Parts: sequence; C-alpha cells; structure tokens
Amino acid sequence: MSDVVHETPVAHHDEHESTGIGNRKLGMWVFLSSEFMFFGALIATYLLYSNRGGFEGTYPSEIYDIPFTSVSSFVLLMSSLTMVLAHNALSKGDQNGTRTWLFATAALGAVFLGGQVFEFTEFIVQSDMTLSTNPAASAFYLLTGFHGTHVAVGVIMLLSLWGISRRKGGLSEEHGMNLELVGLYWHFVDIIWIVIFTVVYLLSVPSA
Amino acid sequence: MTVTAERPRTTIFKRPSSAYGIWSWLTTVDHKKIGIMYGYAAFSFFIIGGLEALLLRVQLAQANAEFLTAGAYNALFTMHATTMIFLFIMPASAAFMNYLIPLMIGARDVAFPRLNALSWWIFFFGGIFLYSTFVFGTSVAPVGPDGISGNLAAGGGPGSFNWLAASPDGGWFAYQPNAGPFYSPGTAMDYWALGLQIIGLASLVSAVNFIVTIFNMRAKGMRLLRMPVFVWMSTVVAFLLLFSIPIIAVALFMVTFDRQFGTLFFAPVGGGDPILWQHLFWLFGHPEVYILILPAMGIVSEVLPVFSRKPLFGYSAVVFAGAAIGFLGFGVWAHHMLASGITPVAQAAFGLATMTIAIPTGIKIFNWLGTMWGGRLRMTTPMLFAVGFIAMFTIGGLSGVTHAVVPSDWQQTDTYYIVAHLHYVLFGGSVFGLFAGLYYWFPKLTGKMMNSKLGKTHFWLMFIGFNITFAPMHWLGLQGMVRRTWKYAPETGLEPWNVVVTIGAFIIALSVAVFMYNWFHSRRHGVDSGFDPWDARTLEWAIPNPTPEYNFGVSPVISKLDHFWHLKYDQDDEGRAVRKDDADQIIAELEHVGLNPPEPIHLPNPSYFPLLMAAGFPLMFYGIIYHTTAWGKALIVIGAMVALTAVIGWAMEPVEEPHDEPSEERAEEVEAGV
Amino acid sequence: MTAEQDTHPSPAQYWKIAALLAILTTFEVAMFYVDRELGLGGLNALILISLALLKFVIVVGWYMHLRFESAIPNRFFTAGAILALALYLVVLSALGVVVIRG
Repeated sequence: MSDVVHETPVAHHDEHESTGIGNRKLGMWVFLSSEFMFFGALIATYLLYSNRGGFEGTYPSEIYDIPFTSVSSFVLLMSSLTMVLAHNALSKGDQNGTRTWLFATAALGAVFLGGQVFEFTEFIVQSDMTLSTNPAASAFYLLTGFHGTHVAVGVIMLLSLWGISRRKGGLSEEHGMNLELVGLYWHFVDIIWIVIFTVVYLLSVPSA
Repeated sequence: MTVTAERPRTTIFKRPSSAYGIWSWLTTVDHKKIGIMYGYAAFSFFIIGGLEALLLRVQLAQANAEFLTAGAYNALFTMHATTMIFLFIMPASAAFMNYLIPLMIGARDVAFPRLNALSWWIFFFGGIFLYSTFVFGTSVAPVGPDGISGNLAAGGGPGSFNWLAASPDGGWFAYQPNAGPFYSPGTAMDYWALGLQIIGLASLVSAVNFIVTIFNMRAKGMRLLRMPVFVWMSTVVAFLLLFSIPIIAVALFMVTFDRQFGTLFFAPVGGGDPILWQHLFWLFGHPEVYILILPAMGIVSEVLPVFSRKPLFGYSAVVFAGAAIGFLGFGVWAHHMLASGITPVAQAAFGLATMTIAIPTGIKIFNWLGTMWGGRLRMTTPMLFAVGFIAMFTIGGLSGVTHAVVPSDWQQTDTYYIVAHLHYVLFGGSVFGLFAGLYYWFPKLTGKMMNSKLGKTHFWLMFIGFNITFAPMHWLGLQGMVRRTWKYAPETGLEPWNVVVTIGAFIIALSVAVFMYNWFHSRRHGVDSGFDPWDARTLEWAIPNPTPEYNFGVSPVISKLDHFWHLKYDQDDEGRAVRKDDADQIIAELEHVGLNPPEPIHLPNPSYFPLLMAAGFPLMFYGIIYHTTAWGKALIVIGAMVALTAVIGWAMEPVEEPHDEPSEERAEEVEAGV
Repeated sequence: MTAEQDTHPSPAQYWKIAALLAILTTFEVAMFYVDRELGLGGLNALILISLALLKFVIVVGWYMHLRFESAIPNRFFTAGAILALALYLVVLSALGVVVIRG
C-alpha cells in the first residue's frame, strides 16, 4: 500500500461541518451579517435627510407618536422572549409549550405590524405625509417599510412552523433546526428595530 | 456508470430523475453542471457585449461619424459595460467557483445544492430580463424649453441603429438624476435597475452558499491554510459580495422607487441628494472591482506553479495579500468621486487609502514572478495567458495608482485614459485570467485537450489585439478625448489613433473566433487528456477526467498544501522535486478508486423548485415596471404565487431522498463494476 | 469557548433578561421626555445610543445565543455590524451630516 491515505468511505452527501456548526445555521448567520449593510444603508439615508432643512411638507420627526411607538417597540421586544421560550420548550420536548410560544411570537409580530399599518395610515391621512412629500418622508417609509416586510416574512415563517407543530407528533428534530433558524432571523429583526427606535424615532425629534 | 444518485421516490408529485437530456440540466443540483451552465451563459453574454463594443468602435473610427445615433451610442456603451461586468465576468467567475471549489476542497457538492441551482437560475432569468429591454423597453426624450426634443440621446439625429436607443442609456453607474425619472423617462432604466436587482440576489445567495461550503465542507485535513489559492480568493470574493450586494440592493430600490412610486431620494428638485447615489453605488462598485479581479488572480495562482514546476512562492503572503485587497477594497470607494466636490480632507484620505492597495497587489505580482523565477517553465497556452495576465495587469495597476493622485485624477476623469486603465485591469487582468483557466481546466470538463497551436494563435492574436486596442487609449485620453461621447470633431486630431484602436478591437474579435473554433472542435476531436495531463498539484486533478458525477470515489484526507503533488513527488537534498518511484502506481490507484467507488454514493436529488422559484422573480419585476396597469398588477401576483409555490414544494422536499442501506445484491453489482 | 457551550440560559433567566430589556426601554422613553424638558443635547444622544447598544448586545448575546456559539459566526456577525457602522459613518460625514470635531 502506498502512502495514499483513505478514510473509511463516507457514503453520504453529508456535512461533517469543519466549523462544528451546522450548514444551515452557519448560512443564516452569514446571511444576517450581510443584512447589517442593507439596513445600514436605509438608516444612513434617513439620517441624511431627516433634519435637512428646506424641504416642503411635513417631516416625519414632526409627527412621531412616541408613546405609541414605544408600546409597539416593547411588543416586538417581548416577542423575542416568547421566541426563546418556544425554542427552549422544543429542546425539552415540550410540544404544547412550543406551540403556545410560537403562536404568541407570531401574534406579537402581527400586533407590531398592525401598529405600523396604523401609524402609516395616520401619517398619510392625518398629516398628509406620503412617499413623495419630501426625501425625509421617502426615507422613513422605505426604511420602516422594509423592516416591516422583514417582520411580515418572519410572521409567515412562524405561522408555518406553528401549523406544522399542530399536526400529530408536533415538531421533529429536523423542524427544531428550522425553529432555531427562524428564531435567529426573528431576533435579528428585533435588534434592527432596537436601533431604529432609538436612532430614527427618539433621536431625530428636535428637542424643544 | 457505477454509482449514481439513488432512484428518487415520489413525494407530492414525482421528483425529476433524468440523468441526461434537457431535464437533467433544468433540474440539476450538481455543482459541475451548474458551473458549466454559468460558463456557457457568461460566454454568450461575452459575445453580445463584444458585438456592442465593435459597433461603438465602428462609430468612433471616424471623426463626426454618422454610423450610430447618439441614442444608440449611449445605449450601447451602457449595455456593453453592464453586460461585461454583471453578465460576463461575474458569472464566468461563478462558473469556475462552482465547478472547482468543491473539487479543490475535496467535497462532493456545495453546502446547499438546491440554493446553488437557485442562484444560477435567478442569474439566468435576470440576464434575460435585463436584455428583454431591447424588445419592451422605451426611452423617451424630454422636450426642451424651446419645444425641440431636449436631448439627442433618446433618438433622432443622423445615424442608424436608432432602435437600440430604447434600452438603458444612463451608463453602468446610472448617475442620478440623469438616470432618474425626469431625465430618463420610459422604462429602459427600470429594466436596468430591476435586472441588476435580480442578478444581485443571485450573487448574494451564492456568496452565502460558498462561504458555508468553504468553512464547513472541507475534506479531512484540509485546513484553511492548505486550501488552494483559488479557493482563498473565492472566499474573499464571497465576503465582498456578501457585504456589498446589500448596499447596491438598497440603492437600486431607491432608484426604482424614485422612478415608479414618486419618492425623492435622488431628485434635486425635491431636495434629494444625487451624491448619495454616488456614495452608495461606489460603496458597492469598488468592492465589485475586486470581485471581478480576485477570481482571475486565483486562477493565475493555480496555473503558474504547475507550469513552473515549483510551489507558489510565498503561499501565505499571496493569501493574506488577497484578503488585504478585499478589506482595503471597502475603504477606497470615494476615489471614483474625487471630481464630485467632496471635501479636500476626504480627497486626501481616499487618495492615500487608494495608494495603499498597491502594496498587497505588488506583493502578489512579486510572488508570481518569484514562482516563475528559476522554475522549469512550460509555455503552454494556459501559462501564456497567465504570464500575459501578470504583464497586462501590472500596467493597469500602475495607471490605477495615477488616479490616486488627486490632481492627476481631475485631469483624467471621464477621459479615455480611464477607459484604458479599466480595460487593462478587467480585460488584460480578469479576462486573460479566465482564459488561462478555460485552457487549464478544459481537460477536467471534457477529458480532452484543447489544441495548443490554435490556443497559442488565440493568445498572440488576443495579446496583440488587446494592446493595439487599449494602449492608444492612454494617449487619446491624455489628449483630451472624452468618454461616453459619440462624436469628436476632425480638428481634434484624434482620428488616427481611433482608427488604430478600432483595428485592434477587430483583431480581438478574430482571436475570440479562433478560441470558439478550438473549444468546440476540441470537445469532439481533442486528444484524450488521460489522468492528470498537466502534472498538477491540486486535488481536482487527483480524480478522473472528465469529473465523475460524485467527484471523489473516496473522500480524500489531506496532509499538506499541494497534497496531490506530494503524493507524486519527494524532495532531494537540494530541495529539488524528484518523482517518486511508485508515482505511477499511486496515480493508477487513484484513477481506479475514482472510477470505481468502493461504496455506493448518495447524491442530492435533482429538483424542479429552484427553476420554478427563480422564474417568479422576473414575473414580479415585470409587474413592478407596469404596476399602473391591471395586467402589471396581475403579473406581480402571479410571480409571487409561482415563487411561493416553489418555496412550499422546496420546503416539503428533502435534499436527498431516503434510501435503503445498500443491499448485498447492489454491493455485488458494484464489485462487478456494473 | 469554555464549558458554557451547553449551558444555555434557563426559562427563568430568559424572563429576567426580558425584564431587564423592559427596564432599559423604559429608561429610553424616560430619557426622551427628560431631554425635552432639559435639552441635554449630545449627552442625551450618548445615553440613548448606549442604552440601545446594551439592548442590542443582550439580545444578540443571550437570545441569539451568540455568546454560546463558536468563534466563526461571532466573527462574521461582528464584522458585518462594525463594517456597516464604519462605512455609513464615513458616508454621513462625507455628506456633512456627522460632523467630527477635533
């Protein structure tokens, strides 16, 4: 025999995962790292225009309803708690708990989205601030709109998992991985909102 | 074939199972087939982009020529650049990355085979979408204050080919507000923005896929610093894509919203800031430059050691220099904007940062020279292209440093000097590198050799044609010839060199024809390559040619950099490589194992869903362009439904169908080599 | 990484973390009104950004378990965040929004 070293044949297209972290989980982390650039560009654009003087029409920062947004931010923040509780329940094999917390997370996400729809409607109808009022308004709607789209995608994924968990036998180990991935995505959307809440809402209102 | 994917089972409806024919290509998740499709698509776009360039050159060969209308000229230079960058060099690099990364790291496929197919199909539909502008796009000239059509660019005027004018004409950089709704009405620039959005999505998905593949799928013993340089450069490219594509995605969304939904991001009348577009575009655009060149650098770093019969000089220096180029590539974007009125501090900072890029680049060039130094050189076709790459890229790199000097850049901006520079790095660099790779890995794809006489003819024609075309552009630019302008006056004295340039362009076209003949002829009638035709160093050559469907009969275990070379060669006391006595026997064994895997191998099954899902995007995006009409809205809904159906089907279908443990009968079949 | 690898927080800890996040959010909103009265300017920005950063790190570290992951995703994620922050700060300062004073 030569010095060709052959390992015992591995018969599957499987992943031995050199980093010790699953392919799909690593993929999700990698994808989320790139999302910083995405939201960063939107936030930077908002910051560029938010307090630039001389535009026509209403500025978003003139009409923010801080108490209202505080509550909806809090709702989204707490959905991160229900998300980890769902994950925790599944890891303990508690299918009932998983189901409950998954639904709670999706519901909190939906409440947040409802709040956003309400906010947009108020801004457009009451304050006459549309996409084309001024660049600050354009930037506000694009940023919060894309964030809302992310939340909506998350809610759909959560509801799909919830639907599967209601079937007989609940969520399998395979689905457990999916739950973890959806969880990562969900928390990420939450931390982006933490930044948006501070930078876009609290800090861009000119102090009296 | 001894071993194939297990017979698929039915889930909701039957899973595709064709091993050959058109469906095997449409549903494949095999990284090699996907790589080949990327390659052919990219090369087709290379031909289209080349024809566009030839039309431009015919127009410029004569002062005050009336061959093209101004509108057609604008459309052609826009589409030439867009095509060459996004539809040729990027997918051509993706072709090499797809085909080679799993082979070079000893894997059976990428981490996410179906996502890989998805990237390819998204890219493919994105390219078709972008080019469908020639059929559906419109570009209407605004009427000037005097009631006359405001700009010649959108049509009219002397010249022919005006039908081309109804396509994107705002340059590949689409500066705002010129490419915005007011100055570029019509749908052409929407096709451009949304087409690039689709293509960008494809790149982002492959970036994630390649990063996970490279970090997670390496064979046993394949440590990061044992990976071939090509894999390293691909890693850097994947990170550059990962972090730069989202920026352009946002910028393109803003353009689309400005054009379609009345936002005011880049509209100066409404308070928008066009310079923001430049920042976002070049934040992406400069890393993009390295996305285009680094794969070619990787290819050259593979080719040079093989034909110098020496290890790559300073392997780790080359790797770290590549990573440094990638990192610095994010910090120099504003050197594209030195003439846009940014502050003197910013100009100085970005000028200096740009100069530092010369350091890692210089390290690479000297390492390549060091590799050749004292080697026993074999001047095969791939080697000629690799050496040509070093020479041409060095010229392009040096003219690049001159742009880092701010006053000098002010003089050169928007002249043919820039055109010369960028073609020296992208054509003399990337394209020469890609051709080196095509000649080098042709046996890997086909089991045949390309004709070397024709190959060398191709090289010399292309090398000479290239220099005749682009070297004179340096002096044309310094004499003041402006880019992106379809006419020049005879008094400028620019005509003689322009004639030379046009002749050069046609020589390049001829050389490409020689290449195509060689490629297709050699595929059928080429000499059999046998195993390891180049006496190579890396893992992809330790398996039979053409590559078996399952790549490795037995997953390799790696003990060194250039593992395959060390199986064949020892060092004598003076450090010279000496072929081992039993090298031939080792090779015979590798070939045997490669062709007759001892165990059944289960590969990921083909799938319809990547194709279906990718098809949803262009439908939705057509819908966005025509969203004011009822059928436009319908298209958005249909596209979304198509994509959603695919997502559901995808989620329900396992990567690999369940399979039984190999039966004894099967094992006997394998034994018998059935 | 130490032996913490498998010691994910317990549900009780998750609730405590949520309570902490809630308190921090209350502080943020309170700061907003305090600033309206007193006009703290830069100090207000500093405090609010620190609070947001703290919440960010808590969610990433404990809820996303990044603290308990191997080094690889940690590096990628941090690289993405820092790169985005750095690049867009430069863009904003080049466009005159963020003024860096010596």
